[in-house]
Amino acid sequence: MAKFDLNDDSVAVIIGSGAGGGTLANELAQRGIKSVVLEAGKRFGLEDIENDEWAMFQKISWLDKRYSGGGWHGAVNHPTLPTWIVKGYGGSTIHWAGVALRFKDFEFKTRTTYGAIDGANVEDWPIDLEEMIPWYEKAELKMGVTGKTTGMPHLPWNNGFRVLAEGCRRTGRSDYRSGPMAINSVERDGRPACQQIGFCMQGCAIGAKWSTMYTELPRAEETGNCEVRTEAMVLKVEHDDAGKVNAVVYADKDGNQHRQKARIVCVAGNSIESPRLLLNSASSMFPDGLANSSGQVGKNYMNHTTGGVYAVMPEKVHMYRGTSVAGIVGDEVYHDPKRGFSGGYYLEFLSLGLPFMAAFLEPGNTGWGRSVARALEGYDRMSGVWVLGEDLAQERNAITLHPTEKDQYGLPVPIVSKTPHNNDYEMTAHMYETSAEIYEAVGATDVYELPAYPATHNMGTNRMHADPDKGVVNAYGQAHDIANLFVSDGSQFTSSAACNPTLTIVALAIRQAEYIAQEMNARNI
Amino acid sequence: MTIRFHRLSQSREDRAGMSRRMFLMTTTLAGITTGTLLGRASLAQGAGLGEAESARLLRMVQDIYPHPDLLQIAHYQAIVDAVVSNADDDAFAALQDGLARIEAKAQELFGVPYTDIEDPDAREGLLRHFQNEGFFQNVRWTAYFGIYNNKEIWPLFGYEGSSVEYGGYINRGFSDITFVPPGPTLEERLAEVQK
Repeated sequence: MAKFDLNDDSVAVIIGSGAGGGTLANELAQRGIKSVVLEAGKRFGLEDIENDEWAMFQKISWLDKRYSGGGWHGAVNHPTLPTWIVKGYGGSTIHWAGVALRFKDFEFKTRTTYGAIDGANVEDWPIDLEEMIPWYEKAELKMGVTGKTTGMPHLPWNNGFRVLAEGCRRTGRSDYRSGPMAINSVERDGRPACQQIGFCMQGCAIGAKWSTMYTELPRAEETGNCEVRTEAMVLKVEHDDAGKVNAVVYADKDGNQHRQKARIVCVAGNSIESPRLLLNSASSMFPDGLANSSGQVGKNYMNHTTGGVYAVMPEKVHMYRGTSVAGIVGDEVYHDPKRGFSGGYYLEFLSLGLPFMAAFLEPGNTGWGRSVARALEGYDRMSGVWVLGEDLAQERNAITLHPTEKDQYGLPVPIVSKTPHNNDYEMTAHMYETSAEIYEAVGATDVYELPAYPATHNMGTNRMHADPDKGVVNAYGQAHDIANLFVSDGSQFTSSAACNPTLTIVALAIRQAEYIAQEMNARNI
Repeated sequence: MTIRFHRLSQSREDRAGMSRRMFLMTTTLAGITTGTLLGRASLAQGAGLGEAESARLLRMVQDIYPHPDLLQIAHYQAIVDAVVSNADDDAFAALQDGLARIEAKAQELFGVPYTDIEDPDAREGLLRHFQNEGFFQNVRWTAYFGIYNNKEIWPLFGYEGSSVEYGGYINRGFSDITFVPPGPTLEERLAEVQK
């Protein structure tokens, strides 16, 4: 692995090593562009992965102090855990389940499709599906996504998904399949085929699921063009008198501060840390934070409109056997205002182990007693889904800084506020009803509705917009205000769409890398 | 790549399942204050709950997660012991106070001791009065970890836990149910992804 000097001002500094940062680092490295990746968490390897929900939660989760705010139930029930993301080498690609869906075309054009919506801040992306298709294909080849691009078959169906699929068939649905997943169904790219272990979200113990932890990051390091520094928490991005960023200040594991010079800075710390860093980097020239002339940094926080549904079947299912998200139902992903809400939603089969089922079946202080105990006695007969749909951007849903409280680095603690829009309530009701209908068609005896989990899909807080007054970055994730500052993670999303964000984050990172290389060669940055 | 399956060793602490670590995890999930949750060495060596208090606490953990057909009294007694040994002085005092108030409420509502109330719904309704208090949630989360995160109890719920050391479920029943049709064959799945 390369070692770069702190005073080397020719490097790109990438903050974060997940789907966005890890991909960008490797794409730049393969093009001969030098980078320093600063990762707040520890270096993990396959040997750290255990099939144990709580042990892995404790080991890899981002547990720095944060507060949940707003009107969602988590402000009461998960007051210090608004999100469920990873702090470590590989970021949340260790935890993600592998679902690799593309946006639909209308989901890039939400303002045009949905119109103006009261209380929401919905806008169109400055890019569309046609523009993104070649980048999606590159991402699918890179990650090894089952489907037509790679020719890799979708995974075999497990028990839990077979129950869901049969319910879909009996209720006249047609779009239900076990992919696209970024999980090898055959040996590919030096990684083995899936062994149906389960525990995908605790990290894949054999590396069958794509993660930057054992693909992009080590490959970037092998080129000699990339240095990854772990346990390096970035505190501030600095700029010169001309308003160009030129260095980042970070704390190492012992709390000692260092200043790494930079030619460009790419922020990829997920949708809480990325805007938080820009806000914490306020200066006399940029008093509202870096790249924030629009006032949109930290605003429009989206994390999908979600819930869980678990149905108890007449016979044993053992849903935990096999991939955690074993199948996807896409029949509800369309926009029809007659349904009473804008946007669509997916149903994704999702298994939980007994510990997490018991924790999330009824979160909060009331989740005990005879009804909870009785439900859990049906655990081995359950099949269930995670439902996720379009979450409309709202300015009030935001990342803000606590006025007085500081974290272990001396930075203001972030407050993550989320209040559902009426659109969310209408959509959630529809999701629950659809899920129950499907499971009842296969003979479900009980159907349990679970509220949203702490969010893993975090988006929108440094959003793209063609108009510098309405968004933070342009169509390449480049800050409107500062030409050599980029946002490289899900915070650049203009809309959430219904699908899981990772494939789009990776496709945008590949596209951004090409743009950065072109702009560097042209000496524009 | 060669697939190497590894059998992960469990530390004694992990196996105990009711370690201090679980409290730290719980506090993250539920936002309980951590100040009262550290070990209570002094108590482990000496005074604990009185006989009546112990009986109330044993009834309480059974009422919080009642599985009369699945679990033995010994499973619940282990949780009672963990509640007591994990409590520091302040938590222990809060526990004693809470148990006393549960008893007083039982007398007020039903005119009998808590442990003598026969209707399980009535006992649950009584405990609901206390569910937002710290002492109650400490007992509740100790019971949660002692039951649902307890590897010895998992088989009773039909949960098998870690599978990587057995090569996953690819050859061990990941798709073995018979009350719904099988999924598509490999040939069908291959045909689906042809361009």
